[in-house]
Amino acid sequence: MANSILLEARGLNKAFGALRVVQDVSFDVRAGEVLGILGPNGAGKTTLFNLVSGDLRIDGGELIFDGQSLVGQPSNRRCRIGIGRTYQIPRPYVGMTTFENLLVAASFGGGKTEAESYSFCAQILRDCELIDKANRSAGSLTLLDRKRLELARALASAPKLLLLDEIAGGLTDEEGQALVKLIRRIRDRGITIVWIEHVLHALLAVADRMMVLNFGEKIAEGAPADVIQDAEVRRVYMGIEG
Amino acid sequence: MTDASAVSAADLFDPPAVRVQRRTASSIVAAVVSLAALGGIASMPLWATQGQIRDVVELCCYIAVAQMWNLLAGYAGIVSVGQQAFVGVAAYALFIMAQLWGLNPFVAVVLAMIAPVLLAIPTYGLLHRLDGPYFAIGTWVIAEVMRLATSVFGYVNAGAGMSLRVMASYSATERAVGVSILCALMLLVTVGGSYWLLRSRYGLALIALRDNPVAAASQGVAVGRLRFLIWVAAAAGTGLAGAIYFMAQLRITPPSAYDPNWANIAIFIVMVGGLGSLEGVIIGALIYFFADRWFGEYGATYLVVLGLLTLFMALFARGGIWGLICRRVDAPWFPTRRILVEDKR
Repeated sequence: MANSILLEARGLNKAFGALRVVQDVSFDVRAGEVLGILGPNGAGKTTLFNLVSGDLRIDGGELIFDGQSLVGQPSNRRCRIGIGRTYQIPRPYVGMTTFENLLVAASFGGGKTEAESYSFCAQILRDCELIDKANRSAGSLTLLDRKRLELARALASAPKLLLLDEIAGGLTDEEGQALVKLIRRIRDRGITIVWIEHVLHALLAVADRMMVLNFGEKIAEGAPADVIQDAEVRRVYMGIEG
Repeated sequence: MTDASAVSAADLFDPPAVRVQRRTASSIVAAVVSLAALGGIASMPLWATQGQIRDVVELCCYIAVAQMWNLLAGYAGIVSVGQQAFVGVAAYALFIMAQLWGLNPFVAVVLAMIAPVLLAIPTYGLLHRLDGPYFAIGTWVIAEVMRLATSVFGYVNAGAGMSLRVMASYSATERAVGVSILCALMLLVTVGGSYWLLRSRYGLALIALRDNPVAAASQGVAVGRLRFLIWVAAAAGTGLAGAIYFMAQLRITPPSAYDPNWANIAIFIVMVGGLGSLEGVIIGALIYFFADRWFGEYGATYLVVLGLLTLFMALFARGGIWGLICRRVDAPWFPTRRILVEDKR
């Protein structure tokens, strides 16, 4: 299973006017792994997610998920075939409760009936430590809880591939460790994860492989330990001159 | 309810025993009151005068038109100032079918809903690429085009308008019975139908769509299709109200049928009553109805006051009067919430 490829990206390109945000990026995501994505601000990481989730249209290249091409498919369809995502800046539905936020994802993205969704969503709320706030308005949640809600909602859509966009930012050490444990548990349930994160130690604790972007181009990919030692990565990302 | 564990990764864990509570004491009272009100409206010929029936018909039409606008603006995130296009086209469809084609007018009222649907489908194709204010302006333009086109359309007697003379073949009582039952049905379809929709899982999708369309799409909601369906449904509901209103009026002209005041009234009712709530629409419609009765004689001054009130609510009380009430008492008449209750084991 570890060898089969879940997501295949070939020569992805995206430009906003003259600004080329993603340039010829190719990568594979293997089923069951955690792929970490590193890169300085503006490197095109979130844009890459938007291309995979369908929030943005690709200018060129090919995206194959689970054997089918994603090009031209709207984001709601991509969610239904198994691509779940979180947003770096949380986007809760503030007019409903935390629990109802998950119901949207479970009954539309996850394709469950509403009744089937109830206990499924309650379980996810428990895993993400939000069960006490299930009936609270999502608009009243703190930033930490909004980040948890992003993750919980993405899980509720029953994804095969989970795209996490900087969900550890702003957490205390303890909260970070709890998050790492939770992400390991998600992976152990067979969900493949691609995780963009600046909190390096959290990423290193879970990632099986890492990829580094800079100015829209892939500059390194491989085992986390090797990638971190890469001279180019150290120069670009950590500001350490070789 | 617990079989979700069988299809998901959650089966590594004990599925929690949960249930979802939806009814409240206030909603049971409201349901009884609503049914009684519907019964009262349907049986008006037994207890009301002709004048009272005319008033109630008018009020019911306001509620229906406003609720359809509420569905658009309060849920689908679509602001239209051209709802009179659907009022007018449905009303004219009724006059054509009943007066020119000789159909039974009480059947024609219902069939008239087809006309706004036929208008809504291509107009959405034209408008849906426009954002916010541009969309709103587009709807107004379409309503004006419909008014102008009707004014030069000889088949419907152009600018001179038409009379529904076929109604003379029914006695006053028969007309009152027909219109009363149609009114009750209209409320059942527009308000009751909205409530049914909002309680279903599509209600969740609509609130998600209103709060964050990008996130809603990434969670599997077909945002574009849902907006389209709401647009068409709102056109049908608005058209039904228009057909019933002009059936009671017995006379139609292009300026009255495509009167921009229909959109103004809907906006006033929803903004003052409470955007995104069924309760607000009923409260707002009652306020508008009585304000119009009591202060309408003051003409321009009265309209300025209504405008200022709408502005005031938009600036200082976004949730309208119903929003202010909700802050004090938690007793929704039409609750759509899903309260998660964990059963202790």
